Amino acid sequence: MLRQMEPAANPGDSPVELELTVQNVESALYQLYFDPVMERKNVAQKWLTEAQASSQAWQFCWALLGPDKLPEVQFFGASTLHTKISHHWNDLPADQHDSLRMQLLSHVLHFSSGPKMVLTRLCVALASMALNLIPQVWPQPVADMVRAFQPLKPDSEGASEAPRDPQAHCLALLELLTVLPEEFQSGRLAQARRTQLKGALVGEWAVVCPLLRQLLQSQDSSNQAKEKVLRCLSSWVGLDVPLGESHELVQDCFSALSNPELFDTAVETIVSAISQPDSQRYIDALVTLTPLVLGLHDQLKRAAQDGDMETSHGICRIAVAMGETHSRVLLEQVEHWQEYLALVNMILFCTGIAGHYPVSETSSSLTLTFWYTLQDDILSFEEDKQAVYLQVYRPVYFQLVDVLLHKSHYPSEEEYASWSPDDKEQFRIYRVDISDTLMYVYEMLGAELLSSLYDRLGRQLMDPQQSAVWQDTEALLFGFQSIAETIDVNYSDVIPGLIGLIPRINISNVMLADTVMYTIGSLAEWLADHPVMIAGILPMVLQGLGKPELSVSSVSTLKRICRECRHDLAPYAPDILTTSQDVLVKEIHKSSQCMWLMQALGFLLSALPVEEILGRLHSLITPHVQRLDTLAQQEPDPTNKQSIIHILGMLSSLFTTLDINRQADSLEGASSPRLTPTQSMQNPVVVVLQQVFTLIQNIFSKWLDDSDVVEAVCGVFEKSVRTLLHDFGPMVAQLSEMLGQIFCAFPQASALDLARQMVHIFAGEEHHIANIKSLIEVLTSATLTIFQQGPRDHPDIAESFMNLHAQILKRKPDMYLSDQLDVKRLFYSGILSLKFPETATVKAATLFFTELLPRCKDMPLLGEVLQEDGKLLTETLLQAVGGESPRSLSEHFSEVLLSLNRHCPALLSQWLKEALQVPGFPSAQVSAEQKHTFRQQLLREQTHKRRVKDIVKEFSLLCRGLQGSGYSDF
Amino acid sequence: MAYQLYRNTTLGNSLQESLDELIQTQQITPQLALQVLLQFDKAINMALANRVRNRVNFRGSLNTYRFCDNVWTFVLNDVEFREVTDLVKVDKVKIVACDGKSESTQNKNDKW
Repeated sequence: MLRQMEPAANPGDSPVELELTVQNVESALYQLYFDPVMERKNVAQKWLTEAQASSQAWQFCWALLGPDKLPEVQFFGASTLHTKISHHWNDLPADQHDSLRMQLLSHVLHFSSGPKMVLTRLCVALASMALNLIPQVWPQPVADMVRAFQPLKPDSEGASEAPRDPQAHCLALLELLTVLPEEFQSGRLAQARRTQLKGALVGEWAVVCPLLRQLLQSQDSSNQAKEKVLRCLSSWVGLDVPLGESHELVQDCFSALSNPELFDTAVETIVSAISQPDSQRYIDALVTLTPLVLGLHDQLKRAAQDGDMETSHGICRIAVAMGETHSRVLLEQVEHWQEYLALVNMILFCTGIAGHYPVSETSSSLTLTFWYTLQDDILSFEEDKQAVYLQVYRPVYFQLVDVLLHKSHYPSEEEYASWSPDDKEQFRIYRVDISDTLMYVYEMLGAELLSSLYDRLGRQLMDPQQSAVWQDTEALLFGFQSIAETIDVNYSDVIPGLIGLIPRINISNVMLADTVMYTIGSLAEWLADHPVMIAGILPMVLQGLGKPELSVSSVSTLKRICRECRHDLAPYAPDILTTSQDVLVKEIHKSSQCMWLMQALGFLLSALPVEEILGRLHSLITPHVQRLDTLAQQEPDPTNKQSIIHILGMLSSLFTTLDINRQADSLEGASSPRLTPTQSMQNPVVVVLQQVFTLIQNIFSKWLDDSDVVEAVCGVFEKSVRTLLHDFGPMVAQLSEMLGQIFCAFPQASALDLARQMVHIFAGEEHHIANIKSLIEVLTSATLTIFQQGPRDHPDIAESFMNLHAQILKRKPDMYLSDQLDVKRLFYSGILSLKFPETATVKAATLFFTELLPRCKDMPLLGEVLQEDGKLLTETLLQAVGGESPRSLSEHFSEVLLSLNRHCPALLSQWLKEALQVPGFPSAQVSAEQKHTFRQQLLREQTHKRRVKDIVKEFSLLCRGLQGSGYSDF
Repeated sequence: MAYQLYRNTTLGNSLQESLDELIQTQQITPQLALQVLLQFDKAINMALANRVRNRVNFRGSLNTYRFCDNVWTFVLNDVEFREVTDLVKVDKVKIVACDGKSESTQNKNDKW
């Protein structure tokens, strides 16, 4: 009878002081499993973990495994045993190894009929023990295990001990043999030990394999035993056991496929055996296995016909595993070419399996990678050989194109509407995979593929009956697009014909219309080389622009055309601008598409004659600027905020791509007599910016404290600076003044970012630098005030401020000579920024110091500050490395430490010494000796960033108590 | 084994920060943390292989390439990345790529 678990005498007591006895362990387990109070559960768990780690655990675990205990208790006993063996192995004296092994084996035997969870734990413990002793102490563990589980003859001495159940023993042995390789795979072992162990285990396969074969073939074996055999084989396959030795066993697995109960496991096992990368060395074995795979073709067809998805999917996986893993090897077996061709056709059947993916079939997607692998292998043969293979496989690939296009068909509208969003997404992904596959197929079939697609499209569109089925047209265009998207179709002679056909397509169906748009977009580069064809196709895109349901596809297509073909778009510019303005005013598109559209128009305007740009730009933006003006006069509220940000975003987008200098560049060297625009007149963007400047000041004054609006305004200027570069010059004076004012009134990070951009561009231009310098002084003194008052709520400002000063130190360090810059406070603000929890702020601060330290030598003022506050910097860095900051940042701190060591090694040595001699600094986990070593290593390394990084990382782990746990070994 | 290269991402770093903290406050053991990280490797490898189908094309001139320990490294100059709506130009790009068909993700029809 089982003894019931008893609650502890005083369940509320902290069990931490309890003695480690079997009874107390049982009580703690009772608390863990049955006590309703969460807190007590936690205390019990903690105590049990400690108990497991104690040396007494070696003894009490056996008592817990007693036959009268509850399964939960027995499980804890077995689990403790495993923990001891895998983690505290060295505690056990060598002379006790033998008795432990005997005891474990006898317990495994004892528990062979259950409970299962205890048996598995014991098997894992025994496996773990074997892994500790192989090969010196326990050279042949598997043979010993098998022997121990042999059914005893009735007259042998052990027979009288207890009645034995051979079936249960057999299952227990299989469990043990299955967990052995698994325990090896999951353990953390040094590389050399891993190799040694793996070699020894693979050697044991010679014992395991025949045993598994015998059990799988035996009439007496139950399905349960056979399933275990299959799992056991899978487990050993993970060790790369040679297929040459096991292919007969794998062959036997094929017969298990006819047993419905074993089908799934057999598929799993066969697939893992075949796809094992090492298996390609055993060509003979593969050649004998191929007919077995082909033998499944009938079963596959039947299953497909009957809609038995599980079966067809399983067989498909086997065929694909064979074809994909070994395509090169099997292609090379010239005398077996027909078999491999048959396998390829079998996979083609799987690709074309009836039904819509993913709703009524899920197998076809498994095959797509195979088609890539096969073409890749064929094309990697030398030319003569390749020609032969192409002759055999090109027809298959033409069939494949038909199959793929068929599979990419959309279902009927009603059916598609009934699909879940998940299914639709899966289908979209599937089509992208088909699209990728078609691109690879093109490598095999070349321009002929496009011609065949074109012929079919032509025939379809001419036949009124056929063209009524929009799915067919859509699939063909999708095929075109898949190829044109990535491959240069310049030499294909069917593109002009295709462009002639496209306008004949009835685009009343949205899905088809989308594909038409994307197909046109994919031809944008081709159109740039053949501008005369633009006229035929552009109206269709402009027509699409007016339909909200085609928003994404039509706008992105127009953008591609404007980007690629802008030099030839002048004749169409009025149409494009009028249509675009119309859809913008009617608010047909969502905000992000409006941004794309403005970028498209930026490209378009850039390439127009310079004298035309300003006029067209004005008429494009005037309605929006007027709207902005109205909005700016209203009282701030959330609705007009969104509208203001939207219009500012449109201006930013326009100015991102409106670049008249690019046009000048591209015409340079040509015989164009045009002057560079900068010489002849002011940049039109600057003209516009100057005109709207007052309006922008108004917006600023109303929305000063709203970071989104300020960011959007700064965005307009930032995008313009990036594009215009030095042409932006005329704006510098007034912008600097305004930025300074708004920042003083209400500091925002985006103003600092814009200032950084200006430093970057204009650092070398003396007539602008005076303005920028006074701006920097204003920004710096305002920010330092924030630092003084407590910058914790403004990590973004701290980040932008650090980045700004890093830029100044890099591009214009002599700004630091100004007596208006309080260098000491700047240095201190850098130290404060290092302590932020926000990663980006810390990174910016380390960048600031790595730019600042090299300047200290040449700038006495900076040198002085470093002398005075360098120690504080060093301490801050050590603290951060020691646990104050996330470990992933240690690389950045190491760069500052390296920089200190390069530029003031003697001082750093002193600072480190003083800081590290404080006990418990930077962490209580590091000893004085470890700190000493760290200091030595750090000071020795003045050149290699990587080595300093490793030293700092190592120290950081030590400080956090994370070293050597395996968790941090990467 | 799933690739560990995604540990050095925002998501991976945040996870490690949390695990570090849990280890230091002794709420979990380093062994458990390691298991969590391994699970993360598996999950992110699977998700990126199977759930992402966004496509970006790029072209540039190949400066250097190497294939070492099953890792491809390409260094490209003057690269143009083209997405449907965007074009980004970059002076120098380093691409590190591993075979998407590692053991753990076999037979899942994944590609990089």
